[in-house]
Parts: sequence; C-alpha cells; structure tokens
Amino acid sequence: MSGYLYEKDLTSMKYAILTSTRHDRMVREIAAELGIPQLRLRRYIMNRFDMLLMENLPARYEQGKRLVEEAPSPERDLRPHLYSRAVPLIAEEEMDHILSRVRELMENGTPRDDAVSAGRALIREAIMR
Amino acid sequence: MSLLQKVKNFVRSKSIHVAYVDVGSCNGCDIEVLACLSPRYDIEQYGIYVHNNPREADILLVIGAFTPGWEEKLRSVWDKIPDPKAAIAIGNCPISGCVFDRPHSLIDPPVAKHIPISAQVPGCPPRPTEILSAVLAVAPVVFKDYEVKNR
Amino acid sequence: MKRTVDVSIPVGPVHPCWKEPARVKCETKGEYVLSAEVELGYMKKGIERIMKGRPWQEVMFLAERVCGICSVIHNMVFIEALEAISSIPVPERAALLRVVVNELDRIQSHILANFSYCYTIEHETLGMYLLDVREKVMDELERITGARVTCAYIVPGGVRFDLRADDALHLRANLASIEGEIRRYMGMFENGPLIALRSRGIGILTREAAREAYAVGPTARASGMPETDRRLRHPTYQKLGFSPLSREEGDNYARIMMRFQEVLQSIDLIRTCLDTLPEGPIRGGGIPGAGEIAYSGEAPRGELSYFIRTDAAGRVLDISIQTPSIMNIEACCHYMLKGVASLADVSSTFVSSDPCIACTER
Repeated sequence: MSGYLYEKDLTSMKYAILTSTRHDRMVREIAAELGIPQLRLRRYIMNRFDMLLMENLPARYEQGKRLVEEAPSPERDLRPHLYSRAVPLIAEEEMDHILSRVRELMENGTPRDDAVSAGRALIREAIMR
Repeated sequence: MSLLQKVKNFVRSKSIHVAYVDVGSCNGCDIEVLACLSPRYDIEQYGIYVHNNPREADILLVIGAFTPGWEEKLRSVWDKIPDPKAAIAIGNCPISGCVFDRPHSLIDPPVAKHIPISAQVPGCPPRPTEILSAVLAVAPVVFKDYEVKNR
Repeated sequence: MKRTVDVSIPVGPVHPCWKEPARVKCETKGEYVLSAEVELGYMKKGIERIMKGRPWQEVMFLAERVCGICSVIHNMVFIEALEAISSIPVPERAALLRVVVNELDRIQSHILANFSYCYTIEHETLGMYLLDVREKVMDELERITGARVTCAYIVPGGVRFDLRADDALHLRANLASIEGEIRRYMGMFENGPLIALRSRGIGILTREAAREAYAVGPTARASGMPETDRRLRHPTYQKLGFSPLSREEGDNYARIMMRFQEVLQSIDLIRTCLDTLPEGPIRGGGIPGAGEIAYSGEAPRGELSYFIRTDAAGRVLDISIQTPSIMNIEACCHYMLKGVASLADVSSTFVSSDPCIACTER
C-alpha cells in the first residue's frame, strides 16, 4: 500500500493551537452567535483551515469586528465580512447569496430581527452541512 | 596506518561541512550559530562551511528541545547525511529541555533519545566561540581513522 | 482543507535559506504560484501552557524565551504589563535606559532580517557586511546588559544595571560607526541593479490585504500603514517625540528598505535618550499584584500583545501571547505569495517578511 511520504496527521497539533485562551474565547463567541455546537465548529475549523491561519484567527477576528462596526444594516448585524473574509468560515459567493436572501426578506416586510436571525440560520446551515 | 588514511584524516579535519536543524528552540541558539558566520568569528577560516544541506554535511548541529512535529523527520534528516558523520547538541534545550521541560509542555527531550549525539555545548545560549570550538574539537576525533574503525 | 491540486510543491521544513523550520506547500501552475498553504508544528513547545500557574519571577524568564531574537521586547512588554496591573512607577532614568536597550535590540533584529534576505537572494557580500555590523550592536548590548541574548535586563520598577559614563561614551562612538556603515550598505542595497531585479515589484502586499490579515511592524509600514506602530502609544516614546516612517510600495524591496530606515531612526532615538538621560535611581521597586490586562508594545517585527491575569501573590493565572510574526507570516503566505511569478521568489518573499517561527508557535 502506498502512502504519502510527508503527509502527517496534524489533528493533534491543530487542536493544541485551538485550545489556547484567546482561540477558545473566539470559538465560544462564534458558536454562541451562530448557534452551532462548539465541538462541531472546532472540527469544522480544523478541517478547513491551515495551521498558520488558525494561529492568526483571534487577531483576524478582532480586526474583522472592528471593520464591521461601520457597516449599514443588515451587514452590521449579520457580519458577512467577518464570516467570509476575516474568519473564512464560508465562501464569499455563498455569503453574498445569503445576504441577498436576507435583503429580499426585509424588502418583503419581515421585521429586521427576524430577517437577521433567518440569515444566521442560513449561515449555520452552510457550516453544518 | 596507510598513507592514504593519513591524507584522509588530515583532509577531514580541515574541511568540515555543517548543517543545522532547529527542532524547537527559542531561536536564541539559532542566531548564535548564524553569528559564527560573521566576519568577526569567521567560521570559514577554520575550513568549516555552513551548508545547511543534510546531504552534503559532515556535522549536524541540533538546536532546540524536541517537538512532536519532528518525530520521524529528524531521524530521516540524520539518515540523509553521508558517513562519517556526527551530531552536536547546541544549547541546553537538546540536552535537558532547559526551561521548557515542565509539566504540560509538548516537548520530548533529550534529543539523544532520537539520534546519536557526539558532543554537547551547554548554555542558554552558548557563545559563538564555544560553538566554534566544539565543532573544531569534535571533527578530528570522530572522523579519525574512519575506514580503519569500520573494517 | 483537503484539496486535490495540479502540482503542490512543498518548501521546507529543512531549507538552506531558512533559519527555522516551516513547511510551505505551494500550489503552482508551471512556475506561477497560485496559492500557498503552511504547515507548522515543528516549533510548538507550549510555552503558554507552562506559564500558567507559575509566579511572575519564573514567567519573566519564560517570556524572554518565547523568541531569542527579540527577547528584550518580550521582557519589556511582560514587565510593563505587570507594572500597569499593579501601578508600579518607573524612575525616568530607567524608562530611558529601557528605550536604549530596546532600540539596540531592534537594530540587531532588523540587521539580522536584512542579512537573511541578502543571503537568500545570494548577495552574500552584503549579507556578511551586515552581519559584521550586527556584532558591534551585540557588543553594546552585552556591555550594557551583561548578555548577548536573553539578558533579562528589565525588572518591575526599573532596570537591572545602570549605564556607566564610559559605557555611554563607548556606545556613542560605536553608534557613529554603525550609522556610517549602515548608510553605506543602504546605498548599496538601494542602487544595486541586481538587487532591484530580485526585489522590486515582487511579493506585493496591498494596504487592504495588510489590513485584513492585520499585518504589523515593518511589513505593514512598507505597505503604507504608519499608524500600526505601537511606539506611538508608549509614554516614553511620546516624550521623545517619536514619529513612525512608512513607504508605499509594499514589495520585498520596500520591506528591506523600511528596516534600514528604521535602524537609522533607532540610532537617532538612542542618541536622544543619551542626551536627555537624567541622573537618578534606576530601580524603584514594587510588588506585582492581582489584575487583568491586555498590553501591547512594538517588537522589531510589529505589535506584540500580552493578555495576562494574575492573582494577589503575583502568580500568572492565565496568559496569552500574540506575537507579530503570526500576523506577518500569515499576510506573507496567504497574500504576498499569491501570484509570485516564480518558485525561486517564494523563499525570498517568505524571508522578506522576517518570519520567526519560534514566535509564531511558542
């Protein structure tokens, strides 16, 4: 049986990165906001991101929050930039799609809070898929 | 001892190629090895050439406590070095783990568990002159009469 | 993420030009680099885990050993965080001496970074010149603090040793010769036609990308972001009238030139310190107490932040360190390396961002 010579299972190293204080706080915040189980989110991050991006996540997250504050609604509440660029949990095209769905809902008379929570549900669905 | 062996001994003690590998240090010893390259210490006047390519090296300088990423890689780096070869541990980390050898750390010192170490240079970090004199002292001893010993 | 790619060329972990191990997997199309993925884990010692629950007297020395190149700033930020927690005053002479030692450390770190770059683009002559100048700076560091690396010079409420009058004279004389040599080598770098071919327009980091990845230090300032310099917010530097430099190009050349310019700026800062150094005590004393703080300082590579929680006995309960290399290497690998025209430029671009893997993984 042939195997890759250098490819090693990095799960334990990645987990060591994710359990540092600030990473842990960030994962908890995101999980609480989107309503995803923390374990699920950790596994998702470990599968998708390379180790350097993982190390940088808290700094990017803080910077993303800072950039998002000036944006208009619904961007300010849904924070698409944060979840597709700063912490790239889902692809940008998908995020645009979700954003346009939320806008549509708001134009059709859905209250803002309901539309935003519907948007969050869409993000959650995209991650849990 | 044959004349050929004498020539080999002489040449090997005057032309030493060095590679260094960092297996998880704080970088302090790394830069002290780099400082050996500087014109102040001038490592090349002694016939030592820092190559940093294991396949051309005679001596491997091992720096740092042993981290999990190197588990099977350090061994393969060591195997790639052609005989005769020697490894020198630079700094306290490869010898004992230094300040990092505490509960909950990820390291696995000493490095001697993983590859054979011929000499140790303690210090946190050691001075460039100490590194230089260690390389110069080890090379002639380890490489002397290599063919005779291996017969 | 597991992906199937055309050609994935791994660079490292043992690489002739890199001081430290990291593995950059470059997805390429011919020679053209499409994207890069980095694999770490070769330097992860778990310093933050060791630090938790230990008294500050031990953590102080561990903090220094997060990074051996910029050990002074790790010492300084950790101690100043403790001082901020328990409001320990620092005598003015000690505050200025801290700046002197910190700037000397910055000079040697920047020179080392530029040496690595020159060595990587195979301009060994210039590299060796720079390494020779660096030894002079190391001499000064040793004369003031007593050690070349990891000198533990800064303690709560002051510094360990005073600067003697003849040492100050020696420092001034040495600074003059360092400045002259750095100006000469800077001219060589600035006008060298081959260096320009290898450096200009390669590995461009735009302002937007630098903001997104939160790049800091000379890497960010070479992309036109002078406001990222944390020295602007440090009281002693404010008193010295510090103003940061910046460049607009954002390529390899700009990053190296930025470091040269900062070396000259640091020399000026040290001179100002020596001119205004008042007589007086260097240690006020003080006992670190309980508290929680996020404290940042400007390391040679950029913004360095410590998040500390201590208890009344001065034990460190919780600590998290955010080193500048994390952000800079990320910006380098995920933005600069994208679209590098040739694999040969991967290693030089990587080195131009002054990577310090020991910092990144801790």
